Amino acid sequence: MAFSNIGNQDSRPAPELADFRAKLHEWLDAHHAELAPRHAPPGTLDDHIAQMQRVKSILFDAGWMQFGWPERVGGRGGSPMLRTELGAAIAARDLTDPGLYSLIEVLAPTLIDFAPPELAAEVVPRLLSGAEIWCQGFSEPDTGSDLASLRCRAVPEGDPGTASRWVVNGQKVWTSLAQYSDRCVLLTRTGPADSRHRGITAFFVDMNTPGVTVAPLEMINGEREFAEVFFDDVVVPADRMIGELNGGWAVAMSILPYERSSCFWQRIAYLYRRLQMLVDVAPEDDRAAEVVGDAFVQLHALRARSRATQHRLAAGGTLGAETSVEKVLLATAEQTTYDAVRRLLRGTVEMGDGAAGETWRSEYLYSRASTIYGGTLEVQRNIIARRLLDLGSAE
Amino acid sequence: MIDADDRALMKETVRSAIAGADGREAVDRILGELGWLEMLDTAPSDAIDVVFTALGASNATASVLDDVVASALGTKPRADLAVLLPGFAAWDPPGRLDARGFHAHGLATARAATAGEMLVVCGAASAPSAVTIPMTVPEVRAVRGIDPDAGCHAVRVRDSTLAATRLDPAAWQSAVALGRRAVAHQMAGASRAMLALARTHALERVQFGRPIAQFQAVRHRLADALVAVEALDATLTAATQQPNPETAALAKAVAGRTARTVAAHCQQVLAGIGFTTEHPFHRFLKRTLALEGLFGSADEIVLDVGRQLLAARRVPTLIEL
Repeated sequence: MAFSNIGNQDSRPAPELADFRAKLHEWLDAHHAELAPRHAPPGTLDDHIAQMQRVKSILFDAGWMQFGWPERVGGRGGSPMLRTELGAAIAARDLTDPGLYSLIEVLAPTLIDFAPPELAAEVVPRLLSGAEIWCQGFSEPDTGSDLASLRCRAVPEGDPGTASRWVVNGQKVWTSLAQYSDRCVLLTRTGPADSRHRGITAFFVDMNTPGVTVAPLEMINGEREFAEVFFDDVVVPADRMIGELNGGWAVAMSILPYERSSCFWQRIAYLYRRLQMLVDVAPEDDRAAEVVGDAFVQLHALRARSRATQHRLAAGGTLGAETSVEKVLLATAEQTTYDAVRRLLRGTVEMGDGAAGETWRSEYLYSRASTIYGGTLEVQRNIIARRLLDLGSAE
Repeated sequence: MIDADDRALMKETVRSAIAGADGREAVDRILGELGWLEMLDTAPSDAIDVVFTALGASNATASVLDDVVASALGTKPRADLAVLLPGFAAWDPPGRLDARGFHAHGLATARAATAGEMLVVCGAASAPSAVTIPMTVPEVRAVRGIDPDAGCHAVRVRDSTLAATRLDPAAWQSAVALGRRAVAHQMAGASRAMLALARTHALERVQFGRPIAQFQAVRHRLADALVAVEALDATLTAATQQPNPETAALAKAVAGRTARTVAAHCQQVLAGIGFTTEHPFHRFLKRTLALEGLFGSADEIVLDVGRQLLAARRVPTLIEL
């Protein structure tokens, strides 16, 4: 019989995760007053940064921040999904902005996987505990979707194999939180100008090094979350190289699995919270039902996809081009959610000057970037066509 | 539990087994020989996934949806028992027992033409009753509609003498949930088949001296179609791993949206040939439009889900890590 080898499918989530989640929420309930934001909504970026560092510090002191990180960087071990649960829990409670918080997931694994072990052991706990903020120096004025074209140059003082110091010159842009940051994970050109992905090296640069200048950029919502960063003869010790000489592309690409798994799950939790806030106050009519139903269906499909991806990663799978699917789903669902807010809370985004208006307007405007950052929708579709549909190269 | 690779292999086994089958009754017979009813009994989620995905992928017509609904209602399924399904885009029990006596109307699979008896559920969704009637009682009409090959029948029952027995209050909800999952799997199989047809065409069709697959406008349409198909697969996996009426409803809603998105993109890529009956695309387009009406369309389910969210003022996450 063709179907004889079948049993019942497991229908429950992993029990240790469920147990962790239950204990975590119990603890968060008990410490609600201590963790709640100190600022009145909507708050400035300064307020949000201060809140994030305070929450990280409280969670670190209580031992929660260390779950899911390796013991050699001061973690408590266990599945990375534990830290995903933590990030999602605090996003779902509006304790931190998930976009700011997710920089941990984008930057710490890079140090753990590629930096000299003693450097990782020294600095990762400082990121987790809220003692430091780091930024990611990837994009440049002429390097957006085409990362391999970057030009910010690092030159060794002497032979590249034995030099004790490197000198960096160039410019980065769209560097989130650069003006708040203590360190930068910086991609530099170390090969010939046309060496593309083969001639890139990553460094871990102290932002207070002479020659580093930060010029914040005002975003469409009036906040200054990201900045231009200029490097003029910035001296970086050779032991701050992350990964191999000319091995920076591997470092950059290693971020993808974390960005596309735990960061996404946290952002999804935050979007469910936003839809809940809309459902709290939306009119109870059929037009509103269609609009919130639409957003809910999209969020559910995204959450289902993201869950499957994280279990695949946790089971030892590698993540690649197929995560472009959830990137498209996330970008689309995020804009649908904020479109729903604008459509149902009539005039709030456009004319509201109270706390609700300020908050929704800022987030609505920010959501317009979801189809651009982290690889545009068009780049994702190119990847899907080439790598997943195997359509060959484009014209 | 079987893993994804085993399921994919089994889908292929079923697909090749029914590929050459001549007509609906042959497909049903082959599925029966492969152990369909035993598998539905012992591992319903896998059975539904494997068989309905294969049916959708090969655009085959069968009547096994009746077995799915009957078993969810607590009735042992058999090849000569048809089930009255709700009418197009509806999901309430198709029957009523009121001052006019017993009356019912709805849709049925091709089994309505051959079965000896029909299971009819009546009453409110939350307090259902059921009656099994001889096929001599209802008026049965074959539906041509957009897809004459789908085997759809319109059924009407009027008989003041019928008495129904009470079912478990949750039985109808379970039947709708399982029916939705089955149809959604079938639409997923059909959606993937449409995408495969359009992909092949894009690679083979040469215009301006190159395969049209090299044009970004074509590539992006197919990419969006794949995103929709993958989203549906994930939603179906969630409905399988955490089975309840909510995850099943959402899977059916996503199935409807996915089929429309995929059909639109693929038909545009197929262009002229996809507008003819020479190419198989039209069969999948028509079949998914017919299936969209079983147990609620995407539009109706989205509206219903939205009403529930607003009534409860609560947005549940439904699935956890």
